[in-house]
Parts: sequence; C-alpha cells; structure tokens
Amino acid sequence: MSLEEKFTAIRKGLLEFLVLKIISANQVYAADILKELNATEFATQEGTLYPLLSKMRREQLVDYEWKESEAGPPRKYYELTAKGREALRETADYWQKISGTVKTLGQK
Amino acid sequence: MNKVITINLNGVAYQLEEGGYDALRAYLDNAARRLEGNPDKDEIITDIEQSIADKFRALLGAYKTVVNAKEVAGVITEMGPVEGDAAKDTPGQSAAGTKSAASASEAGEAGGVRRLFRIYPEGAMLSGVCNGLGAYFGIDPTLFRIGFVLLGCLWGVGILAYVLMVILVPQAKTSAEKAAASGAAATAQEFIKRARDGYYEGMKSWHDRHARRAWKRKFKRDMRGWKYGFRQQMQEQSQQWQQNWAQQAPPVFGPVFIAPLLSILLFLLVVLMLWAIYSIITAHAVFGLVLPATMPMWVGILLMVIAYQLVAWPIKAVRYSCYYPRAHFVYGGPWGGLFGSLIGLFFLAFGIWSLDRHVPEFHEWLAQLPALLHRFADTVQGWFSRPA
Repeated sequence: MSLEEKFTAIRKGLLEFLVLKIISANQVYAADILKELNATEFATQEGTLYPLLSKMRREQLVDYEWKESEAGPPRKYYELTAKGREALRETADYWQKISGTVKTLGQK
Repeated sequence: MNKVITINLNGVAYQLEEGGYDALRAYLDNAARRLEGNPDKDEIITDIEQSIADKFRALLGAYKTVVNAKEVAGVITEMGPVEGDAAKDTPGQSAAGTKSAASASEAGEAGGVRRLFRIYPEGAMLSGVCNGLGAYFGIDPTLFRIGFVLLGCLWGVGILAYVLMVILVPQAKTSAEKAAASGAAATAQEFIKRARDGYYEGMKSWHDRHARRAWKRKFKRDMRGWKYGFRQQMQEQSQQWQQNWAQQAPPVFGPVFIAPLLSILLFLLVVLMLWAIYSIITAHAVFGLVLPATMPMWVGILLMVIAYQLVAWPIKAVRYSCYYPRAHFVYGGPWGGLFGSLIGLFFLAFGIWSLDRHVPEFHEWLAQLPALLHRFADTVQGWFSRPA
C-alpha cells in the first residue's frame, strides 16, 4: 500500500480545513481554490469541491457574493463567515495539537 | 464530418460534436443522480455547468467554434466525479478529490475509449496488472489475482503471463489515462445494456403496429446475429486450442541428468511431507508451528498434502518436459509410471537402509515403529468415535 493510498482518508478529512484556510486569506472563487490546491498533494477536482463548498455554505461556514468578471458571466466569490472563522481557529488549534503529538511521540 | 449539437450552459450556447454531447449528458445525469437528496443539488449542478462552460470557452476561438468529442472527454476527466453529500459519504468509498482510480471509473461512465493500463499504486497489490484488468473488465480485481495465482501454481503459465503484462502493459500515469483504463467499452454489461436500450427505444413506437413488427424483426435478427457470431467465435477458438494442445510437444528443458535429480528432490519432498504428517499426529505441530487447538488433525494433514502437491507440481512439470522428448520410450507409455515408481521405491529402500545404518535415533525409532503404528491406528479410530 502506497503512502498516497494510506493517507487518502486523511487528505479527505483535511480538505475542508484547507479550503477554510484558503478562503480566509482573501475572497476567492472556486477556480482559485482549485489552483492553489492542485499545486499541492491535495489536488482536487470540481466534482469534489463544489459539493464540499455547498455543504460548507449550508453549515454557514462560508458565504459568497456575485461579482462581475471581465471575461464571461459573473462569478461566485467565497468568504468566511464569523462561524467559519471560529471553525478555522478551532480546527487549526486541533491540528496544531495533532501534529505536535506526531512530532513528539516516541522521542526520548 | 460529424453532427454538431448546440447546448445551453447557463445562458450561453456551445456547439458540441454528437459524441461529446452524449458524454456530457451522461456525466451531468450521473452528477444529478449522485446529488439526489442534496438540498443544494440544483445550485451545485449550475456551478458545475458554469465551470464546464469556462473550460469550453478556453478551448474555443474565432476560427474554432465547435468543441469536439475528445475535448469534451478531457474536460469531463478534469472535472472528476461529482461526489454525493460529503456528510453521507463513507470514507474510502471514493477517494476525496484525489485523482484516483475511483475518479477514473466515474469519468469512464461518462464515455470514452477504454484501454488496458496497469493502475498503480491506487488499490494495486504488486504492480497493478490485476487492478488494471479489473477496471478494464469492470470486475473485482481479486478474481484476477486468484486466477493468476492458480495458473501460476498449476502450470506456471500465470507467472509468465503476469511478468509479460508487467513489462508490456503501460502504467496509467495521467488522470486521462486512468479514466481510459475503465472507460466504457464492449463488456458483457455494456452489451446487455445496449441491447436493452435498443429494446426500450423500440417500445416507444409500440402503438404503431408496422413499426413494432419491423423493430421486433430487427431486434430478433440482431440478437441472432450476435449469438451466432459469438458461438462461431467460441467454436473456432476451442478448435484452435485443441489443435495446439495435440500438436504441442513439451519443450526440451535442461540436460538429461536433471530428471533423476528432480526425482530425488521429489522423493525428499515426499519424505518431508510424511514427516510433517507424523509430527502433526504426534505433536499437533509442524516445523515448530503449533496448529490452532480448534483445528482438527485431519485438516492439518490435508493441508500438508496440498502443500506437497503445490510444491511438487512445478517440479514434476519440469521433470516431464525434461525426459519426455528424449526418453519417452522409458517414461512414457503404459510402463512409464512403473519405471518412475521403481526408482522411487529404490530411493525409499536405500534411504531407510542408510538411515538405519548411520543414524542410531532412526534405528530406535524403527524398532518402535510397530507400537507407533498401533497408537496411530487408535488415534484414527478416535477421530470417528463420538465423544461420550
């Protein structure tokens, strides 16, 4: 079993966290999010991202506003809600704890 | 020259080749099915259509106004499968957005040409040959693994075929190739589906008697044609195989003195097996491995015999190919088995004699043998008598 395969579930679980992080930096539309993710191990496709974004909006973590684009129809630009920022902070803390554990466990 | 179909994606018209239209239709239908029950279904579909439209727009220019089928397939592969509600999705069912074999099979559903690839490392055990075969035929790859192992054990063909496939079958590297590894093709399932689709197509004009008759005739004719073609093919192939079987002389393998060496090896294996069975009966353990207490003794013995057969089979095959072309007057024919058995008996007698002479423990054991045999007979009787 390759590492990539072993960590499939973990990557999947982290995706929402990463999307929160990307959106928190500035207002983005879906293609921007994909571009950032695809430069990493977390390469993702529209078929996964759009359902995830809609779920996050249902949970009121993100919201979007329509903005005109110079080419083509208006686009949805996503931003974090107050609840989303709270979720991001909690997740980041938790992640800090986990990665700290991973680092220190087994060290003498 | 291909027919072009105009579609409307969020208010903008795009012209697609007919094949591309079918693929896109299938992809969007599949997406809608996946999102069934999701409150944001329509919105997600709109987003996806918009994203597809963006990709189409990037492909088109002043002198290119039609998106061809290949480009549509490419865009669909890029989009990846639409996942159901993330909350309801069981982990592992579909790898999250990573371009994996799962996405390949999804994109494949939307159309495209199927090609045989090795799919590695997603879900592969060794090199992805069986994984690729499974994706290609739409069958659980485990079946192919079992098949290869069986063929490998029985005739060694499996190992050879497997190694050849590792070398010859390319590995699916890009996500497009992964999609092609399980793209739609003429599998049995697809065959049945197409036949059925045609059937329902005909049902639509059921009220029109003439059309119905014509369609019925055509359907029956087609079915007969397929059946006949299939049968004929099978017959031709089986004849071919039978001919090959009859003509093929075993290949000459190695110098002639290898045959007796292999016989000795086989004999040693038999001794090893007998010893293993003996130690199972006396100690309920073999090669230092204690059998689980719940495992009946006869299962252990059966396992030993099977293990012996598995090991001995290739050796026997090699020995056969070794002597057959040169000395079939000795080994082949009705007396061949006798000759082999005589050699075996000779080795057995020689082995017992030399052990008795040179190993004092063996001599003692031989002296106890009658008593041991009695005990063994009691044990065997014990297996069949029910506990009171």
